[in-house]
Amino acid sequence: MRLLRAIAIVALLAVAVYGGYRLFASRSQTPNNAIAVYYCKTDGETLAKWVVSVNPNATDTKSMAFYAVAQTLAGPPADTAAIRFPAGTVVRSVDVSGPTAAVDLGGTIATQQSGSFAESGEFKALVWTLTSLPGITAVQVKVDGVRVPSLPGGHLELDEPLTRQSW
Amino acid sequence: MNPLRVKAGRLALVLGLVAGTIVPAHAQTALSANDFWFGGTRMGFEYPQLRDGQFAVATDDKGLARLLAKTGATLSYQPGQNVIAVTTADRRLITFTLGDPHVTIAGVTQAAAFAPYASGSGAYVPFLDLARALFVDPVQDGPTTVMEPQIAGLDVRPQAHSTIVTLRGATPLTFKRTSDGDDSEVSLAFSGTASTLEALRPVDGPGLRSISITVDGSARNPTTTVSFAAPPGSVHALADSDSPNALTLVFAPAGVALGGTPIPAAGRSNVAFAPAVPDETTPVAAPRPAPVAPAPALPPYGDQTAANANPDASMTAAPAETPSPTAYGLAPATISAVDTQSGAGGLYVRLTIAGNVTYEWHRLSDNRWYIDLKPATLTVPSLEQPLDDPSLLSLRVKPFTGPNDGLATVRVGLTLPSPRSVSLVPTSTGLMLAIGAQDDTGTQVTGTGELLPGRLYTGIVPLPPIQAPADVTGADQTWKFGGSGSVPTNPKLIVIDPGHGGSDTGAEHNGLVEKELNLDISKRLQTVLVSRGWQVKMTRETDIDVFAPNDSARDELQARDDIANKAGARMFVSVHSNSFTTSEQNGTTTYYYKADSYALAEDVHSRLAGVLPTADDGVRKDNFYVIHHASMPAILVETAFLSNPSDAALLKQASFLQKVAVAIADGIEDFAANSQPLSDTTTTGGI
Repeated sequence: MRLLRAIAIVALLAVAVYGGYRLFASRSQTPNNAIAVYYCKTDGETLAKWVVSVNPNATDTKSMAFYAVAQTLAGPPADTAAIRFPAGTVVRSVDVSGPTAAVDLGGTIATQQSGSFAESGEFKALVWTLTSLPGITAVQVKVDGVRVPSLPGGHLELDEPLTRQSW
Repeated sequence: MNPLRVKAGRLALVLGLVAGTIVPAHAQTALSANDFWFGGTRMGFEYPQLRDGQFAVATDDKGLARLLAKTGATLSYQPGQNVIAVTTADRRLITFTLGDPHVTIAGVTQAAAFAPYASGSGAYVPFLDLARALFVDPVQDGPTTVMEPQIAGLDVRPQAHSTIVTLRGATPLTFKRTSDGDDSEVSLAFSGTASTLEALRPVDGPGLRSISITVDGSARNPTTTVSFAAPPGSVHALADSDSPNALTLVFAPAGVALGGTPIPAAGRSNVAFAPAVPDETTPVAAPRPAPVAPAPALPPYGDQTAANANPDASMTAAPAETPSPTAYGLAPATISAVDTQSGAGGLYVRLTIAGNVTYEWHRLSDNRWYIDLKPATLTVPSLEQPLDDPSLLSLRVKPFTGPNDGLATVRVGLTLPSPRSVSLVPTSTGLMLAIGAQDDTGTQVTGTGELLPGRLYTGIVPLPPIQAPADVTGADQTWKFGGSGSVPTNPKLIVIDPGHGGSDTGAEHNGLVEKELNLDISKRLQTVLVSRGWQVKMTRETDIDVFAPNDSARDELQARDDIANKAGARMFVSVHSNSFTTSEQNGTTTYYYKADSYALAEDVHSRLAGVLPTADDGVRKDNFYVIHHASMPAILVETAFLSNPSDAALLKQASFLQKVAVAIADGIEDFAANSQPLSDTTTTGGI
């Protein structure tokens, strides 16, 4: 009888431990379709992020990167103060090769005439968002399919891959 | 457009109609491409298709493009991508994924009519799902489906002393005020816009009791009237909005002073370029507006400050390196003694050297002269010795690593009372520098050679000619210098770069043009520096492109750096004025990128922050082209924001521009004075 009781207690403990482990594991694991999206606050320096979930059927690296760029271009909700890419900026393509994501932007960004303040905040958010994806450490920006040294009349150097150490 | 795709699409549409299979979920009768109306005209789809009995429209269809343009949305899709992304005017992201029958709106996924699919250069998406996400709802009007733009969001934010109301629409909201002068009710009529929002919304906030909404008119020409019931005597104002498709109003009880414009007889959405809400209170984070059904509520946004938002904030000068005497495999010579001896013809500086060395000497315009010996190590302490000698004011000897070749180098620097002649005399123990009593009348300002025991070979190392400055008087005679890996060939030369110019105007706000301001401040800076004995070279002195009109960004920016690099300038200072899309941002920022520029940025910014009334936005690191590709310490000063009314007012004052110029000049001199002295052990190419 005692043996049966001991076995029952051990079994209960095992179930409890296993259940606790599963519960903990499920909470601590980041869903593989979650992306941390950054935006730069209007102080020009502070980065903030929020986590969005992408469609579970589009979790390949390229789709995740494309989604991440699109969400960064959209930025946070309109009533959140943020440095934003100009309305009308589009993402033409995103390709990931090794540690570098090549982002081809188009639309109004190609003719943006903003100060260094906006440029810095925009691209800092883009780089931090993409480099939060596994395996990506650098971002090569193109504009309308072409590598450019900077935006027209711009400031930030774009012809080499940007990293988090660029700021 | 692909003609085959058009024909196939139309055929499928006709077949669908014949078969009676087209039964959109939200319309009672069949749809066809010509049955869709929007904004008073047919939508004119080019090549629609049917998918699972639902209306499918291609991402590159001009009919869809018109809808997107009217609503201010932007679509991103390229063949080969799996995701179709649409950004709305109010910054919501709508995404479809090829092969998946869902649409994600601002992070919330819901069922779509069918799975989008690629075709030719576009992808087909469920039109009605996309339209609804854009706040454009289908309404049946006989055989026609009218796509009605909606007022889809009503955001009410009670504050301490006021109530802020934001209406969010599918398109820019244009209104006519239909109420009379009685401020107890304000009614605004929005023609061409419908709404499914609740008819009455109690508020009971400061200055506002309730909001009622009625929709009149036909399906093709609806009018939504929004009425605001306010306590007697209440005041109201029209505020700037955060989106082109939003209208923000502020209500407050009698006696509260609102800074905005009272709601006019007619108006429209006004995107913020001024403080968004003319209220004494600060707007707080607000919930998203109530979305039109069936869109679900948006998820909350996190606001976690990145733990390492500026990982380089504590950037300091590069640590000292141990000179590498064996670079390139050359055995280094050793310099074991340095002493001076007066003679009949002047003063002699004797160097005891064991081994072979190459040398390179330079005469500077401010009566300094130096020689670099390499590869060589100094086995005695570095020397910084003021001398009370009519032929030599000071002597400095210091080891460092050559910034370009990595060779261990010993530099011997002389500060002369005048451009005295200096001759190199080989001795049995090394080398002697013979300083003559007379000035050098020659034109040679640099030379190279090799020293073997007891023998001197000159001119074996080719050097480009170096233009020494000739017009500096009363200049800084110290040997403090460096902090940079670059070796300036003109230590008194500052290159000033007035940002933009010519075909590139830079930013324009508040009647100010950036390129003009930058040039004005730069010229003032030039005057101040020259008056203090510095040499100044401007990348432009008039309103021109430095490289060529309408040139590429690379040519233009590199041309500015080339001027500084070729001149061997000691510092590069680019002068700019900032701007932003809203007017709140203000202040002065100094940017650097390379480690050797941090101290210059700090010194200049300290001066600017000390005297300017603008906000201190600090020193920041950023990879700006012109300060990256200048080979000397280089900074970019953003003096103030043209787009901020207060900053703009300052930028219109000559006294402010002068203060900026003087402060930058002061900072430049601080940097020159504080730079690493020659006697330090840090690896500097300074003299």
